[in-house]
Amino acid sequence: MVRERYLQQLDLLKKSVLSLGKMSELIFHDSMEAVIDLNVELARETLAHESEVDKLEKGIEASVFDLLALQQPMASDLRLVVSALKISADLRRIVGLSINIAKIPGKIEGGHIKPLIDTKRMADIAAYMLENSMKAFLTQDAGLARATAARDEEVDKLFYSVWVELIEMMAKDTSIISKATYLLFLIRYIERIADHCCNICESVVYLTTAEHVKLN
Amino acid sequence: MTEVVQNIAQPRVAQPHITVGNLNLWYGEKQALKNISMHIPKNSVTALIGPSGCGKSTFIRCLNRMNDLVKNCRIEGKVLIENKDIYGADVDVVELRKQVGMVFQKPNPFPMSIYDNVAYGPRIHGVNKKDINGVVEGALHSAALWDETSDRLKSPALSLSGGQQQRLCIARTLAVKPRIILFDEPTSALDPISTSRIEDLIMNLKKDYTIVIVTHNMQQAARISDYTGFFFMGELIEFGQTRQIFHSPKEKSTEDYITGRFG
Repeated sequence: MVRERYLQQLDLLKKSVLSLGKMSELIFHDSMEAVIDLNVELARETLAHESEVDKLEKGIEASVFDLLALQQPMASDLRLVVSALKISADLRRIVGLSINIAKIPGKIEGGHIKPLIDTKRMADIAAYMLENSMKAFLTQDAGLARATAARDEEVDKLFYSVWVELIEMMAKDTSIISKATYLLFLIRYIERIADHCCNICESVVYLTTAEHVKLN
Repeated sequence: MTEVVQNIAQPRVAQPHITVGNLNLWYGEKQALKNISMHIPKNSVTALIGPSGCGKSTFIRCLNRMNDLVKNCRIEGKVLIENKDIYGADVDVVELRKQVGMVFQKPNPFPMSIYDNVAYGPRIHGVNKKDINGVVEGALHSAALWDETSDRLKSPALSLSGGQQQRLCIARTLAVKPRIILFDEPTSALDPISTSRIEDLIMNLKKDYTIVIVTHNMQQAARISDYTGFFFMGELIEFGQTRQIFHSPKEKSTEDYITGRFG
């Protein structure tokens, strides 16, 4: 086998990105569960995972620089290395936004101002997009990446609809402004997470076809 | 001219300088080149890559008929330079090699002074004595060697470093005013700094010359060439713009070679 160690390094890089993807999915899932149930304990556990994510992301960054400097990857290998760096940065932002979500339960006392039905629907679509964008990365499936990114439109529609609803509620009852503002932040965080999933899908399309596309 | 090139996807070439059509070459019974067709664009650097024994050096030697000197070598097909078949019966091979200069892997200066090395070609091609100084200086400037040698032109060429000797060989080639320069692994015996100087030089020379370079160093091909051809087992597997070849090659064997899966 030619360049066995190099191929092992590429494989390890891919596996590390997939691990970061799994951690991101878990953290986003738990942060949403914590905010919907206002479960402060679960929120605290979720916050504790951030340092593991940082460590994994730094490891991916170091592997990418090592591969670029020492192995000079070409063609699909180069695209994998570049995509790994970009995807890990997007995953890190998804974790950052999930951490922001996990901080909300500690700030809301006495229950939500409204049932979080559409907000949960947004989060479910974003979670689906995260899972499937990583699946598309694993299987190098550009079609799945494009189909996954297309669901961002649903998230955007729900975002605007909940946004308008919350603004109207605040206009009618100023006593809920504080709690409603946290919910505005929440839907904004979810909407941004879906955007980062679109970025991941763009990286997957680049990885598999060498085309730079805009899916968001 | 385009009708001779049919068997491989070609990059869009505005001005082909060299056109190769269905070129086959045998060393005795062994076929070393199989049906090679390509347009080599004018004023550009074309790199030829591929594993050892793939035929890239054999191919480059067809472009100035160096293979004529190999016993039992038989060639079929066409090589057109500026639309003229260089294997035609009326071709003056000495004149052809003046038009198509060549620089080899190992620097091979003549055992004479720096000046005489560069002046050798112009002298045997009948350049006037009074013009020789200008030709030598011009060639040494173009080869980025003038500043290092202007005060010791009468010193032996063999006293130069390996990188300087290679640039001297390039100056010697330039002195006879070729249109095309062939480089056969010109930096494989040089250190990284000398290599970098030769690479810069090649990139500067392309505005005046058409350059074809054989290299085993894929990063070098990626750095300095505009077009790249991948050879494997005597065949031209893929030929395209360098950016495309190193970014997203169309053929799996090109991808496997440049990513180090084989070779």
